Amino acid sequence: MSTPIDPITVEVIGSALQSIVEEMGEALVRASYSTNIKERRDCSTALFDHRGNTLCQAEHIPMHLGSFLGVIPAILERFELQDIAPGDVFMANDAYAGGATHLPDIVLAEPIFVDSTLIGWAVNTAHHSDFADRGHEHIYQEGLRIPPVRLYRKGELNTDLQSMFLLNCQVPRERLSDLRAQMSANRLCVQRMTDLCAKYGSDKVLAAGDALQDYAERKMRTAIAAIPDGTYSFSDAFDSNQRAEAMAFRVDITVEGDQMRLAFDGPPQVRGGLNLIYTSLLAACYFTVKSVLDPTILPNAGLARPLTVTAPKGTILNCEHPAAVDGRIAAAQRVTDLVYGALAKALPGKVMAAGNGCCTGAIFNGTDEKGDIWVYLETIGGGGGARPSADGLSGIHVGLTNTSNLPVEALELEYPLTLLRYELVDDSAGSGEFRGGMGIRRVYRAEKACRFTVEGSRVGSNPWGLEGGLEADGTHLDFGDGRTEFAGMVDLKPGQIVSIVTPGGGGYGDPSKRPEDAVRRDLAEGRISADLAKSVYNLSV
Amino acid sequence: MTWRIGVDSGGTFTDVCLFDDETGKVEIWKVSSTPDDPSRGITQGVVEGLEQVGAEASELGFLGHGTTVATNALIELRGVKTGLIVSDGFRDLLEIGRQKRPNLYDMFAEKPEQLVSRDLRRQVPERLKFDGTVDVPLDVDALRTEVRALAKEDIKALAVCFLYGFLNTEHEEMAKKVIAEELPDVFVSTSHDVAPEFREFERLSTTVVNAYLGPVMQRYIRRLKDRLDEIGLKIAPQLTQSNGGVIGFDTAADLPVRTVLSGPSTGVVAAQAIGKMAGFPNIITFDVGGTSSDVALLQNGVCQLTGEADVHGYPIKAPMLDIHTVGAGGGSIAHVDTGGLLKVGPRSAGANPGPVCYGLGSTEPTVTDANIVLQTLNPVEILGGRMKVRRDLAVESVQRLADKLGLDVMETAQGIISVVTANMAKAIRVISVQRGHDPRDYALMAFGGAGPLHAARLARELDMGKVIVPLTPGTLCALGLLLTDLRADFAVSRLMPLGCEALGPVETGYAELQTQAADWFDKEGIGADRQVMTRTADMRYMGQNYELSVAVPAGPITHDTFKALEAGFEAAHKQRFGFVVEGEPIQLVTLRLEAAGIVKKAQFAAQEIEGEDPSAAQIDSREVYMAEAKDFVPSPVYTRDRLRPGNVIHGPAIVEQMDTTTVILPDMTGTVDPYLNLILEVKA
Repeated sequence: MSTPIDPITVEVIGSALQSIVEEMGEALVRASYSTNIKERRDCSTALFDHRGNTLCQAEHIPMHLGSFLGVIPAILERFELQDIAPGDVFMANDAYAGGATHLPDIVLAEPIFVDSTLIGWAVNTAHHSDFADRGHEHIYQEGLRIPPVRLYRKGELNTDLQSMFLLNCQVPRERLSDLRAQMSANRLCVQRMTDLCAKYGSDKVLAAGDALQDYAERKMRTAIAAIPDGTYSFSDAFDSNQRAEAMAFRVDITVEGDQMRLAFDGPPQVRGGLNLIYTSLLAACYFTVKSVLDPTILPNAGLARPLTVTAPKGTILNCEHPAAVDGRIAAAQRVTDLVYGALAKALPGKVMAAGNGCCTGAIFNGTDEKGDIWVYLETIGGGGGARPSADGLSGIHVGLTNTSNLPVEALELEYPLTLLRYELVDDSAGSGEFRGGMGIRRVYRAEKACRFTVEGSRVGSNPWGLEGGLEADGTHLDFGDGRTEFAGMVDLKPGQIVSIVTPGGGGYGDPSKRPEDAVRRDLAEGRISADLAKSVYNLSV
Repeated sequence: MTWRIGVDSGGTFTDVCLFDDETGKVEIWKVSSTPDDPSRGITQGVVEGLEQVGAEASELGFLGHGTTVATNALIELRGVKTGLIVSDGFRDLLEIGRQKRPNLYDMFAEKPEQLVSRDLRRQVPERLKFDGTVDVPLDVDALRTEVRALAKEDIKALAVCFLYGFLNTEHEEMAKKVIAEELPDVFVSTSHDVAPEFREFERLSTTVVNAYLGPVMQRYIRRLKDRLDEIGLKIAPQLTQSNGGVIGFDTAADLPVRTVLSGPSTGVVAAQAIGKMAGFPNIITFDVGGTSSDVALLQNGVCQLTGEADVHGYPIKAPMLDIHTVGAGGGSIAHVDTGGLLKVGPRSAGANPGPVCYGLGSTEPTVTDANIVLQTLNPVEILGGRMKVRRDLAVESVQRLADKLGLDVMETAQGIISVVTANMAKAIRVISVQRGHDPRDYALMAFGGAGPLHAARLARELDMGKVIVPLTPGTLCALGLLLTDLRADFAVSRLMPLGCEALGPVETGYAELQTQAADWFDKEGIGADRQVMTRTADMRYMGQNYELSVAVPAGPITHDTFKALEAGFEAAHKQRFGFVVEGEPIQLVTLRLEAAGIVKKAQFAAQEIEGEDPSAAQIDSREVYMAEAKDFVPSPVYTRDRLRPGNVIHGPAIVEQMDTTTVILPDMTGTVDPYLNLILEVKA
């Protein structure tokens, strides 16, 4: 086995590793150009050991863990270890050959060598808002597929490859600059790890890495062991703005001692960008289980060891080539709802009601006066689920995403759009002893002709309540001619207005138990209408 | 008029530092704070301090005051009932913020309390465009209706923040006028006055915090002013701001948000002056209290300003020293978590019951208890003999952790120190390596009650060669008040490429700022001979959204100025991110002007160097556990107040003084410099 190491050195080196991934994250955000990264922070950074296990991940976007799980194995499958040299930088985005989860998330991975030995990998992923206005019948329509390839070989840029990549992008200037920021983040990581190994010796750093994974595993096992053995099942509906039919998802979570098995079932994969690659499913499970069982468990590979995750191959929850995956976050968010729902049965009083269950995406693209294409992508939060002891949070991202909004004053400066309203939606939350969080209304006016795509779900189904709490209102849209649920790509005329309403969060507990002053406060603040106060809470106004 | 006085009002003690301009003598005085009305404790401190030196209040030439009134009112949510006027469609922006949840994994985490409830957030038809032109004119009648409605709600403060209000102030000015007519007694904050910068949520948050705290600060200042008048103070007192400078009471009352982070800032100012005096322009400050540590970096004697910080969940845009805080201090509690690792903090034992060794009933070991077990702290009595401690209780509590870890009690005590040192090192990495600075190029200046106790180990963790322990580490903030200038920061947004077309706008932009600075100099009564202005420009590559600050050379704005800015920007980008992009257009974002009114500061006189032998200061010897030896090592104990310039102490050794204890490790020496600072160095 590895070098013996005491728990104190583990903690000391663990702090240093955490500093490194956080520093990478800050450098990436601050040096980048695209609004999706510089303001919305749709990127993540991580450090891997030499075997490709996650050692440390900065707290950005849990969904990105999926790409992190797959990329190093994908590199090692294609390249012999002895052919990998210092200064090589691998780039990948493909869900099937690249270890990533959808094409816009481009991963850069750089090996870290100390004394000619590979000791780890600096990895980051950034969501490049490109490949817009595409078909999603299968992955070949969704953008340029990149298996692990060397963007840099021994420190030397592969300009041929870069040209090829940029030609396939709609906004090449942003892509180039964002790649540069990604490069600089990894360079920092390599430098810091080299320094750390010089200080402690790489044996000790590697041993601490192993110990940190064992540590996460122990904490996970301790938390699972506290759950009564048994099988806990939950079903939920999955729908989307693009497709009318609702699909049934199900999970059976079996707890046995300190192990947990999560067995999913869902319909066959679809010709639409809604399918989940297995690593996306894993990322969704790891996030949700950690958030319920013990939020303080380090997000490294160790936490996965007590968990077994299965879903039949060829289904939407474990898709196969050539299924399209661009909007995988929608189904992944429903996976988090499933796991929360099942764990609520295992741990009553410890789990909140369903949150908005979406990562509602709004994508605008068009061509400017100079003939250059512009693409703007943003995602909109909604309500959080009511907690067993408190109301849900309003206007937040839930589950696998946590991107910032783009300030209106930055949005309007960069794109021909005007934001008319950005507000919480009255009566959108699920009622209960504890009320769910409120959803968001975001109203845009197109100043120039452009194409608009919305990626949302919870159109037919609604976020559920718990313990007698009521469900929340779902997603809907308005293009100026009344409420609608479904929309594919829509061409907007100059001056046309689009309104997106995102779901609230489900309620917790019987509404009749909500204290009257809390109902009156909600009414005074306009969070609920007089009608709802009367019909649900029986408050005479 | 020979005495100058600095008063730092903290949660437990109010520290008073008196300085005699003629003799250079420094006197320290401490009184208990009076949290219900801090002005009482302050006035009492001033009176008692003056009695100590036999002076009258009328003889004071300067009074500087550091306060946590605004900070505490924000933390404890003791501000006033506040209303808000915003652009139609945006009343919930305050609540949505940046739409991120407060904790990624913990679903039970709460957003900060809303400072304005939803029914008091009123929207009015008006809209400016991104270039500052009017899209929808302000509906004055609708505004008046909303203001009248708010009047019925008995609000005490009102914030106004319109989109692009920083670019075109017209609508906010009109709103201010209407409010003054309708609600003359209400405290009003407008976003263009408080934080005239882009990013609407952060500007809004700052404006609201300012309104929420305004009447609290006004009331406090009025009361303090009255009390100081009563005792015969003749000069206008000054108050610290988060940027490390002081301002007059009137400005502080208008912009309380600028004082919210003033607490640790004067400590940094004092460190700066001491560093300069002792010949260390590059220092990292390390201020350790009971629950947290504050760290800051000074390059060439200057601490960078930062424009934004998160204060208890509320984003605040105000010029403040770049100080980073981590929840690691003497009272931080050690525990073994479910995965079997030793963790320290952020939970703290506070002052009551305090660490286990106080014998007040606490059973969870703290960092202080570990130091008592190791005997780095005096195992019998601390605070210069004012407090007895129970080492036996501390040992018991650490033993319980040791049993869980499978280590012995001394290894565990040392482990607590290693883990807390790692947390502190992490904080220092944030302000050094993460900003492109190598800590090995810096000296560590340790202060606060527990800074000097941990400094040697921390310096070793970060490979820093030198540690400076100033003479009065426990009261450095009060001393800092006597070393700071009056200071105000002015800024204007100027988004444009760094090129010929920008020459005119930049020139007029700085002229505008100079006019504002001139008004401020006037208001504060600062004569021309005491005025210093420094210009900087925030810049980025066109397309980025975070800026780097670059110094603007003196003189008129010319092509050469821009060349210097370009070179400065590239150097800063290279340092921060490791690369520059040849030929990439650079964009100007914000022009800044720092105006300083130079005040006469406390000056320290160098003392004659005496012999190396410190034995006259040795008061004791005790066994101190040293990780290097994995055992107790006999170590001499010196008293700080008998150490003389030139004395050299060879580690292992302990230096005790009333307000702190300094540990000198086995391979280190401690040398007393001519200003009585203790300089620790690794032996060559």
